[in-house]
Amino acid sequence: MTATRITIDPLTRVEGHLKFETRIENGVVASARTSGMLFRGIEKALIGYDPRTALQLTQRVCGVCPYAHAEAAALALEDAMGIRPNANGQLLRNLIVGAYQVQDCLFHFYQLSALDFIDVTTVLDYRGADPGLNTMRDWVRNETRSQRIFPAAPFLPAYKGNVSKDKEYSLSAVRNYLESFAVMADLHKMVALFGGKSPHPVAIEAGGVTTRPTIGNLAQYRTLLNRVERFVHSCYREDILAVAKAFPAYFKEGRGYGNFLSFPYFPDASGKNHFFAGGATIAGKHTVLDLNAITEDHTYSYYKNKAGQGIKPLGANRLEPLDWQEFQREEQREDGKYSWSRAPRYGGKVMETGAAARVVNTYHAGRNPALRKLVDRLNRDLGIGLKDYNSVLGRHLSRYITVSLLINRLKEQVEQVEPGVLGFSEKEIPRNVRGIGITEASRGALGHWVKIDNKGLIENYEMVMPTTWNMGPRDASGQPGAVEQMLIGTRIVDPANPLELARIVRSADPCVACSVH
Amino acid sequence: MLSFDELLAADANPSSAGWLRPNLIWLQGASCSGCSTSFLNVEQITILDFLTYFSRVLYHPNLSTATGDQVPRILTKVAASDKPYILIMEGAIPVGMPHACMMADRPIGEWVKGLAAKASVCIAAGTCAASGGVAKMAGTLTGAASLDDFLRQRGIKTPVVNLPACPMHPEHLVYTLLHFIKSKRLPELDDARRPRQFFTHSVHERCPRYPAFQARDFALRIGEEGCLLELGCQGPVTYNDCVAIGYNGNTNNCVRAGHPCIGCAGELFPRPRLYHTHDDPKAKTGVVVKKS
Repeated sequence: MTATRITIDPLTRVEGHLKFETRIENGVVASARTSGMLFRGIEKALIGYDPRTALQLTQRVCGVCPYAHAEAAALALEDAMGIRPNANGQLLRNLIVGAYQVQDCLFHFYQLSALDFIDVTTVLDYRGADPGLNTMRDWVRNETRSQRIFPAAPFLPAYKGNVSKDKEYSLSAVRNYLESFAVMADLHKMVALFGGKSPHPVAIEAGGVTTRPTIGNLAQYRTLLNRVERFVHSCYREDILAVAKAFPAYFKEGRGYGNFLSFPYFPDASGKNHFFAGGATIAGKHTVLDLNAITEDHTYSYYKNKAGQGIKPLGANRLEPLDWQEFQREEQREDGKYSWSRAPRYGGKVMETGAAARVVNTYHAGRNPALRKLVDRLNRDLGIGLKDYNSVLGRHLSRYITVSLLINRLKEQVEQVEPGVLGFSEKEIPRNVRGIGITEASRGALGHWVKIDNKGLIENYEMVMPTTWNMGPRDASGQPGAVEQMLIGTRIVDPANPLELARIVRSADPCVACSVH
Repeated sequence: MLSFDELLAADANPSSAGWLRPNLIWLQGASCSGCSTSFLNVEQITILDFLTYFSRVLYHPNLSTATGDQVPRILTKVAASDKPYILIMEGAIPVGMPHACMMADRPIGEWVKGLAAKASVCIAAGTCAASGGVAKMAGTLTGAASLDDFLRQRGIKTPVVNLPACPMHPEHLVYTLLHFIKSKRLPELDDARRPRQFFTHSVHERCPRYPAFQARDFALRIGEEGCLLELGCQGPVTYNDCVAIGYNGNTNNCVRAGHPCIGCAGELFPRPRLYHTHDDPKAKTGVVVKKS
């Protein structure tokens, strides 16, 4: 038996500082460790601040999905206040978070993932008339012929491996990679129309949205939405289907536990009747959501506090980070702590969150005919079943499903906004009270818990993040984290170019800044 | 002071115009990638032109295909070469807890130190890199430092340009880069090493609600016309041109969105209270925030 180790540090084209290590036996991953390598401690720094600041500051935990933190923090504070936004407030909030979710999914597919499936130098053979591809071709040719340091960066160097032989698909992926920058900028404009700016939209507050809708800004939103819709329903759809058809084996690669957790997401104007259902699917069985089942373990996380028992949200005021010497000692130990991320568990189980969880749970909940119809059609076309969503391509496909359906909801809801009516009502900060806000970030189930003291300041704050669920380390019982499990069993063709591993981890769309905060 | 248009004009042929595409290295410390995603929204030039015509992006954490070992190899080789390059730093540097931000088994500060020392210029992209931002907010434990402080403490003399705002305004970065590329010098900077072009005026001075302030017409609730000072607006103490040029291609800005300025480009961002109701007694008395 031959055993080797593959360490990837840093994993680029994800958010933040991610490292992972695998132990390979006979060409197959036997064990894996994923490590979040950035700690800022924003969550507990919030203690003593005015609760409203959490809406702005928790957004800064993540510059890729700030909208979800604004929404979760607003929901938590509204829960504490005992209020809900009026219809316009809810609709405008949906228009902000929906557009941002679409932007984030496009960013993940084109900028972060697509290049793993193609060879950029395919553009050298391009003979057509697309100006972007022609520019790329001439540039790649000049660069690769030059004596420059790292020619054709940032598109080279890259892992070599089994990439698409389909020239047409490769060119389409490059063209739409370039095209998508303008589409994403349009989506950020849609966010800014009601959010003030993007990233970090300022206008989501407890009580609604501070921007007053007008005939003008609604019309601008509609125009941009139509442009985005064309890209999503043609380019994005075609590219997803092309990669799915080119790499059918990736509907089997990157299988995790198959336990899916999602939170209710995208309500109607009343703030109820969420389009995507919350819940947990464990061993193929769907159950309703139980927030009390959530705990976080830190046995393998870089904190001093005694470990061994999962802590419920708001159950600890502060985890004391290791100092430099302790950190070094853990790094030397074979079975030492290895991540700043904690390990959330649901009734003790490891759960995957994200687009696949959202789609599978909504499908099982059985109250969304539009989703069911789209999933059934895609499954038929691609020859897959619901169990195959627990895979690299299943996750990519689920993002497309989310985006495609969200576009239709946004089109409906923008028409329901009443121009001129403020979607905001204010309420003073309550005392001695707790609040919970849950939603779906692009990367999955996100919860904020707030506890307010007798002076109306934050007594404790807790965020349980999608990437913490996915990318967290082992727990006291030794169960590997969700992505660690996805890596186990993967066959590595070339240990010097472990493209398979990179594809699996990127398919879960890790956001390390979020996961540790 | 060169305008944006002047910088974009007259560049038919880079080599005959006497400028070369500079090498760029983009690092992320204690950051959220928000300045990177903000940068990708730039509209004055396309990202395609940025990558293939204006500069050579040797490394960017969110764009580079390079993965794992390939990354330290690039960074080490660039630092050891005699090729000029510009270092763009996003996020703060946890000096008190170096292990709070690790890349390729080394604290991010070591990478910054090695690369900044030999860079032609360093650009602090966003508030965290410029002054610490949320990474340094009261109550954090990592001893986060701004890029300028970090380099000064280590005696590294490479000039720094600060581009605060949370997130960084993409126009600010592209202007600074083009200025350096084309005129071979940095734009004129103020005492805080920010380009005067963008940071001379306070948000308050150029606020669309300034006439209301002069008339002492204050909004007491969100949604009302009038100056937002009573709701905690930090426009008077925040220097940035966001109200003049807007965000997202001038689609909107915070004040236009009916929200008081939260001071995201200010050195003291984030303050303990970013928006409050006009009659909140805590806001009047300035309650002292106690840390646990």
